[in-house]
Formats: sequence, C-alpha cells, structure tokens
Amino acid sequence: MSAVHGFMRNPAMSIASTFTVTLMLTLFAFFMTADRGLQAAVAVLEGKVELALFIDDGAKVSDILALKSRIEADPAVARVDYVTKEQALQRLQDVAAKRPDFTLADISTNPLPASLEIKMAEARQAKTLAEQLRAEIGKGVVYDVIDNPQVVDQLLTITRVLSVGGIAILVMMLFVALFVIVNTIRIAVHARRDEIEIMKLVGASDWFVRWPFILEGMIVGTLGAVISLAVLFAAAGPVTSVMVDFLDVLPVSFGPQFAAELIGTVFGVALLVGAGGATLSVRAHLAK
Amino acid sequence: MITLDDVSKRYPNGTYALRDVDLHIEPGDFVFLVGSSGAGKSTLIRLLIREELASTGRVMVDGGDVSRLSRGNVSKLRRKIGVVFQDFKLLPTKTVAENVAFALIVTGHEGRVVREETDRVLSLVGLSQRRDHFPDQLSGGEQQRTAIARALVNRPRILIADEPTGNLDPVTSWEIIKLLTRVNELGTTMVMATHNAEIVNALRRRVVHLDHGRVVRDEREGLYAA
Repeated sequence: MSAVHGFMRNPAMSIASTFTVTLMLTLFAFFMTADRGLQAAVAVLEGKVELALFIDDGAKVSDILALKSRIEADPAVARVDYVTKEQALQRLQDVAAKRPDFTLADISTNPLPASLEIKMAEARQAKTLAEQLRAEIGKGVVYDVIDNPQVVDQLLTITRVLSVGGIAILVMMLFVALFVIVNTIRIAVHARRDEIEIMKLVGASDWFVRWPFILEGMIVGTLGAVISLAVLFAAAGPVTSVMVDFLDVLPVSFGPQFAAELIGTVFGVALLVGAGGATLSVRAHLAK
Repeated sequence: MITLDDVSKRYPNGTYALRDVDLHIEPGDFVFLVGSSGAGKSTLIRLLIREELASTGRVMVDGGDVSRLSRGNVSKLRRKIGVVFQDFKLLPTKTVAENVAFALIVTGHEGRVVREETDRVLSLVGLSQRRDHFPDQLSGGEQQRTAIARALVNRPRILIADEPTGNLDPVTSWEIIKLLTRVNELGTTMVMATHNAEIVNALRRRVVHLDHGRVVRDEREGLYAA
C-alpha cells in the first residue's frame, strides 16, 4: 500500500522515471527482436550458401572425386554434390520447360561443364574456402570457382554492428534508467525519513524498512514493461512488413514462444532495474 | 544490564566525544547522565542503541557486545531499548494510538496484540482519552507521554531518555518524571540525560557526570552538581 502511496506522492518524478524505464525497455526489446530476426536470417542464408566449382571437361573422374572428398573433409562444409555435364543439361532443360519465355536452342553438344556444388555449414568460411579452391584453377581439374557470399557478409556485419552498438546503447540506457529510479526512490525515502528514523529506532528490521521502496521501484519497472510491450506489439505488424521488404528474403515472423520469451525478459529486466535502483537508494539510509 | 568497558569514541576529525569511560548499570537502576552540552551524553546514548560504534573499548547491553551484532540483531537490540527524545519524534500524520501501534507493527506484530498492547501502554501513560488525537492537537507533555508510550510498547528492558523534559515547562516536566519513575519501579532500567538540576536534586538517584568525554563523578543518590 505504502509503495503505491509513494508512487503517487511525487507523480512528476514517478512518471519521468516510468517513461525512462519504458524507453530503455523498448530499445531493449527492439534490439532483442532485431537480433533474433537477423540470426534467423543468417541461419537461413547459411543453409543456402553455395560455392560452385566448374570442372574442366578433360578432368579425370578419379581426380574429381578426390577433390570432392578433400572438400568434404572441411568442417565448414555441409555437403558436396557432384553434378555431371548430363545432369547440368537436364537441369537447364527442366528450368526451360517451366519458363515459356525461355526456349533452348537445339544443341547437339553439351556446353555445360560438370561441377561440384558446395553447401556451407558455416557461411562465414565461404570466402576463405573459395580462395583456397581458386589456387586449384589451371591444374587440370578446376577451371572456375563461383562464390557469392556478399549477402551473408553484409548480414553478418549488420548483426555484429547491431549487437555491439546495441549492447553499448543498452548499457547506457540501463545506467540512465537506474539513475532516474535511484533518484525517484531517494525522493520517496527523503519524504519519509522521519518515519524511517523512528522505524529503525523502535527496532524494525532492515527489510521491513526496505520493502515498500523496493515495491515502489518494481511498480515503476512493471509499468515501464507494460507500456513498452504494448508499444512493441502495436508496432510489430508494420515493423515486420518493413523488415521483410527491406531484407527481402527473410522469414521475419516470430512465434508465440519468442513472444513469451520477450515478455519474460522485458519484465525480468524491468523488475531487476526497479528493485535494484530502489535498493541502492535506500542503502544510504540503512547504513547505520 | 549495561557495561561500558574502557570506551572511547573518536570522530574522524580527531576530537574525542568519549574518553576511557567505564560504567556499569545494574538491572532496575535509575541513572542520570549530567554534564554540559558536548560533554558526551548523547554520544554515550548513541553507542548504547548502536547508532554509532565505539572507537575502542567494549559496550555490553543485556549481556551482548553491541559492536558484534549482525545487522539483523541490531534491530533486535533496539526492541530491548526504548528511546525518548527531547523533540518527541512523533509522526504528525498519525494519531496517538497509531504512533504507538507503529512501533509494534514495524516489529512484525499484528491485529489483536497491537490493539491490546497499545491500550495497555496508553492507559499506563494516561492517554486513553486522547488516543485519536493528532500530535499537533496535544500539549507538549501529552506528546512526550505518547513518545514514552511508544518507547514502552515493545516492553523494553531499558528506557533511555535524552533530555525528555528539555522542551517542557516545569509542571509538565514533573509529570513526565513521575511517569518515568513509575516505569522504573515496574522494573525497567532507566538512563536519562538531563540538564534539569531541580529534578536530579529532588530525586536523589545515581548521577554520572560527564565532562569533555570523561566520567568525572559517579555517585549513588547524587546531586546535579558536586
């Protein structure tokens, strides 16, 4: 009860600190969501990344298979498929069959090279592997290496910037929120300093004195969490469609499990910040 | 009940508030602390309720060394000691009964116990009729009696009064002193810091005289001045 009274006693300060906490939590939730989305995107793209090795028409099958098993031994590689000249042609014909605007000229010889298609387990290694394989060009087996890992590279950069920058901003916000809560509660403590003095004089335990203020801090935190989650869920639809447009391929949609996780984490952070800030500001008065 | 063993209190700026104080107070004693302002009376009281710690020496209250108390046990110590101040320290937004009950509620008592004990001490100090008044509707003597009721409601073994009559006129002062002597007769150890020579001289109780932090006189049935 006295915690609610405390919150009401200084509405301007309470609203200010609730607002700050809301802002902090909204940013926190945003980073958490964005980070999760990008992680999903990276995972999806990683599964798609392929290097293609075009094989010289004159290469011996035994050499090709030796190269294949060498590549397969790399832990960054998920799978290597050997596509023969005939299979490559067959694929092209399949594609053509589905596209009425695309007709194949009658070809008597097969101009397509055989290839090794490499699926990466770790997309970030694709570049390195491509470099290694390029060294094979001209030795009789490989005649070209095709890699296209730029998308993944960019995505990884975004993820890295986002997590480093995000953490930095979050830590700053956390301090601001903590600072504001500490001061709000300090004002509440100050308003009740006579009461606290008498409580301690007649032998109230530290916890008895501390609890109402910690509750007040937790009320501030909870209000902040509720508001920021409301904002977040209201914005979720539009933001998702923007994200999908922006990143094109990404399946950015979150299930109820992520929503639960998000709500839990946001409330957890809110309560911790509220209770922690309050504990800090009461501590000075309990020191004796 | 209370033992100070070679106690000194030195403040960070180097001044001594108490110096080499040895003092032993038996259960049921009534002790006046006298001496000019700054002689160390209030410091001694603050050491007893562990608002401060002695720089050297040992302060024993009710068989325990107060400097060794854990945080939790400090609050238990304070329940054994009732404290009354010159400025009463009542909460202005609470009635007489609520001010008294407050001391029980914050030490974890509930419902019936709070009501019964509050009624008991209010009738002891003669304020049953005034129970629903607020402090600013009371006279100084009534406010001090409320404070005494609050100090007594946890049934302390020791009652410490720091200038309890400092803000009161002579007639009211005598009412308060009579009340405190009665509390003492009921078995509570009494320690009272005072400047009121008339009262000390009339009561002829033990007098401990502090001067510049030292005990310069300790007499049974003493007078305010030697």
